[in-house]
Formats: sequence, structure tokens, C-alpha cells
Amino acid sequence: MANIAIQRIKREFKEVIKSDEAQKCAINVELVGDDYRELKGEIAGPPDTPYEGATFHLEIKVPETYPFNPPKVKFLTKIWHPNISSVTGAICLDILKDQWAAAMTLRTVLLSLQALLAAAEPDDPQDAVVARQFKENHSLFLETAQYWSHVHAGASRGNSEFANKVKCLMDMGVGEHQALVALSSCNWDMERAIEQLFS
Amino acid sequence: MGFDVTRFQGEVDEELLCPICSEVLEDPLQAPSCEHAFCGGCINEWLSRQQTCPVDRQTITSSQLKSVPRILRSLLSKLYISCDNKPHGCTSVVKLDLLSSHLEECEFNPKRPVPCEQGCGLVVPKDELKDHNCLRELRSLIQNHSGKIAELQQELAENKYQLNEQKREIQLLKDFMRAMRISNPQMRAIADQMEQDEVVRWASSLARARVTRWGGMISTPDAMLQAVIRRALSESGCPPHIIDQLMENAHERRWPPGLSTLETRQMNRRHYESYVCKRVPGKQAVAVMACDNRHMNDDMLLDPGSSSKGGQDKELMLKSHITSRITGVATLLAKHDITSCLKCKCNGSVIEALKE
Repeated sequence: MANIAIQRIKREFKEVIKSDEAQKCAINVELVGDDYRELKGEIAGPPDTPYEGATFHLEIKVPETYPFNPPKVKFLTKIWHPNISSVTGAICLDILKDQWAAAMTLRTVLLSLQALLAAAEPDDPQDAVVARQFKENHSLFLETAQYWSHVHAGASRGNSEFANKVKCLMDMGVGEHQALVALSSCNWDMERAIEQLFS
Repeated sequence: MGFDVTRFQGEVDEELLCPICSEVLEDPLQAPSCEHAFCGGCINEWLSRQQTCPVDRQTITSSQLKSVPRILRSLLSKLYISCDNKPHGCTSVVKLDLLSSHLEECEFNPKRPVPCEQGCGLVVPKDELKDHNCLRELRSLIQNHSGKIAELQQELAENKYQLNEQKREIQLLKDFMRAMRISNPQMRAIADQMEQDEVVRWASSLARARVTRWGGMISTPDAMLQAVIRRALSESGCPPHIIDQLMENAHERRWPPGLSTLETRQMNRRHYESYVCKRVPGKQAVAVMACDNRHMNDDMLLDPGSSSKGGQDKELMLKSHITSRITGVATLLAKHDITSCLKCKCNGSVIEALKE
């Protein structure tokens, strides 16, 4: 890896670890392997959002040409958000694409992602199903996002109604995550979810 | 790419770091309006991908970058940095602005060129000295050279071949032109005019010279002298068709009637000054061209056609000749061929080039 990329990542790694946000457990970063090519990021769901109390893990891949090109970041933790694919974890965020600037760091990227959780952009979606729900049935979106945070990211508050519906589908032999995706995509309408799963 | 922060003594202020490489600014440049500073190398690399300021994304281009303020430069120059060759044993810590001059003479530089002392005389980087083998190096040098020589020889052979081809072609063309000239009077006139124009162009390209002692002129230049002057004429761009004539006319037997005998020379002495002479570049010789000397009496010029040798040259209107050669000016001696100067009879300055 180019010297400049390693130098930068080493510094930025320390910067994140020593930052105030890390002290408050809002962001964190760990090394994967020892060559600074790949890191694991962690962001806490922001307060007053359906992601509150949850912790999301991120895969951060540092390209050879860093910092002239942005790091490649995706969510490892499943999340229900208009700008993040519920399937792959791919993120739609301008600064990770054409609006990247060389002076940005791991810390600013992690904080930007946290900000994205608090302020979604449904008009520039990565996941069209989530974005439609966000716009057409916002309260259900909030509940769904919160339930996903509970199931996948350790948020404490659950939802017994949703849990029952998932269990119901699981009893029919459907996998837990598969059931969750089907129900979330169908606005928690059992019949439509069953139709989608079994047709 | 800047300087590694860990190479500096003490803490380095954040303001002196490049936002791109996060190291201490090297050859810094700043953005025009937002004034963010970066290493020159870093910002140009970034701008080759995206024309924005890496900090605030304002649009900027390479040509808009300015040098950073004096205060920033002087803050940088005051930092103390360890030498690049620290891993090789250099313990120097120098001010940043003196680093480059230190590096030039740092004896710990593994790439510092040192002469081999085992006899081959080659200069090799210090770190390669221990694996250095004079025989091997010299052998590869010889191989290299013989390769080059072979290449050059081949090139030479090719050039010779081409030269011959071209000579042949030129001869053909000459024959053709001669045939045209003889068969067609109009063509003859045009060709003569072209040749004459060429002579005038060449004559006017030469610097004027003044002969201060006409008595010092060599009236019977020997073959060696002639060869030297012939070469100088050719190099000065003299039209080839008059070179032979010019050389012929340099000898007193071909001088114009007014100069042909001691008596006539004595008589015409006072007219010498009126000659317009041209310096033969680099040589102590002048050319007196008929085209420059229409104002002279006829007997001071060569009659038209008198210089001809054969039938086809009879029509040449040239009245030109070389009248001179050589000076003994002491200061000029070194520049010239001493043997030819000793042969000459001159003992004072003959020609003085006029710089016009």
C-alpha cells in the first residue's frame, strides 16, 4: 500500500480512538489484520431516532490511492434505512462517492454516517422499498427501523406485535431474517408477506 | 508527500500539517480564496482527480494555487528535523530549510557516489561499493561500447550509401539542368539569375572587414592555405558553384589587370581603400566580391568571363576573388594555425574585422 495511505490511516486510527466521540462510545474503529488495508468501524445509533441504543458495525476498506479516493464503507449490521441497502449494507452517501475530499478522515466519515442515520435522504435512496415506506407510511417506517435495530443491533426496545408476526412465519418454516424482510417490505401485512414468500 | 511528523523535535503545530498526507508541509501551496495550505505534490495529485479544495470543496485549479505566506514558510523553516539518512547512521538534526543542503553532502547517504579505489576509476553509489567488481563493471562497459560502435558503424555504412545515392541524383539533376540551360535560352537566363542571386545573398550574409595593410596580403597562397580557406567558405554557406573560382582567383596570376603587376599595384594603391571586403568567417581572409564592388574601376575587377576555365562557364558574370590571407597580430596567433602564420610574410596586422 502506498506510504501516504498507511501514514494517513495510522494517524486517523489514533484520531478516532482518542476523539471525544469515542470516549462517549458514539464511534469506534478496530483493525482487521495488521496492514491497515481493512478496518472495522462502529457507530452508535443517534438519540431520538429509531436507531437509538443500537450499535452498527461497518466494513471499511482503504484503497491503495487513499486519501485521493474515498474509503469503501458498508454496513455489516442489517439496518432499515432509505439510504442503506437492507440486503447488502451498501451506503448511498455523496461524500463516499463524488463529494469525497482528501481532507476528510475516518472520524468525519463515521460522524457523517451517524448524521445520515439521523437525517435520511429518501429522495436519493439506496433501498427503494425502504424509501417508499419512509415517504408513504412514516410511522410504520419508524417502528420497522426500530424493530430492526432491536433484532440486529442490540437496541433494547422491542415490538411484541412484530415479534409475533415473525414467529408466526417462522412456524411455517421461514427463516427469521427472511420473515423479517418479507414483513417489513409488505408494511407488516401478513397475507401479502405470505404471498411474497410462497408464490 | 510531506515530512514524517515523528522526524521533528518536539511538537509540531497542527497548522503546519498537510490535510492530505497529514505530514509536515513540503513545498507548500495554498488555495486562492479559502487559503488552505497543502504540500505542493499532494494538492497537485488531488487536483488531477478533482478540481476542488480538499478541505471545503471550493472549486480551484492547479494554476490558481499560490505560494503560502512568508510567516508560514518561516515557521516551517524553523522546525528541526532529523536527517533522511538516520536509518543509515546520520545523527544530524537540522533546520528544515537547511535539510536539502545537508542531504547533498550527508556522508551517510547510501547512494552517495564514491570513486572505486581498486583501480577501475568508476564512480559508484556507496551502498553498491561492497558488491562492486571492477572487472565485471568494465566488461559490461566494454560490451556496451562495442554495441554502440557496431550500431554507429552500421549507421555510417547506411549514411555512406545514402550519400552516394544522393550524389548520383544530384549529378543527374545537374546534367539535366545543364542540358536544359543549353537547349533553352530563357532557362539559361533564369538559371543565371538564380545563381547570381545566391551569390549576392551569401555575400551580404558575411560581415564587412577592413584590410589595414594590403601589403601583407599573400599573393601566392599555397595548397594547404587554400584548403583551409576553401573549407571555411563552404562552411559559411558559399554557393558551391563559385568556390572553385574564388580559390582560383585568390592567386595573383588571376588577379585583375589593375593588380596584376608590381607597377600597376603601385599605381592603384590609393584605390585599395575603396574595396568593400567581406570577412571569411573564422579566418584571416577576406573575399572581395564583384557584386559588392560595382563602384570600382573595371581594371580593378575581373573581366566578365576572364575567370572561365571551360566552355560552359564562360557565361558566368562573376568578378570575384579572394585577395588576402593571414595576419601576424600577436594576440591572434594562438587562435590560428601557427605554422601557416610563420610561412606568411606579414609582420603586422593585416585585417581588422569590422563589427557592424
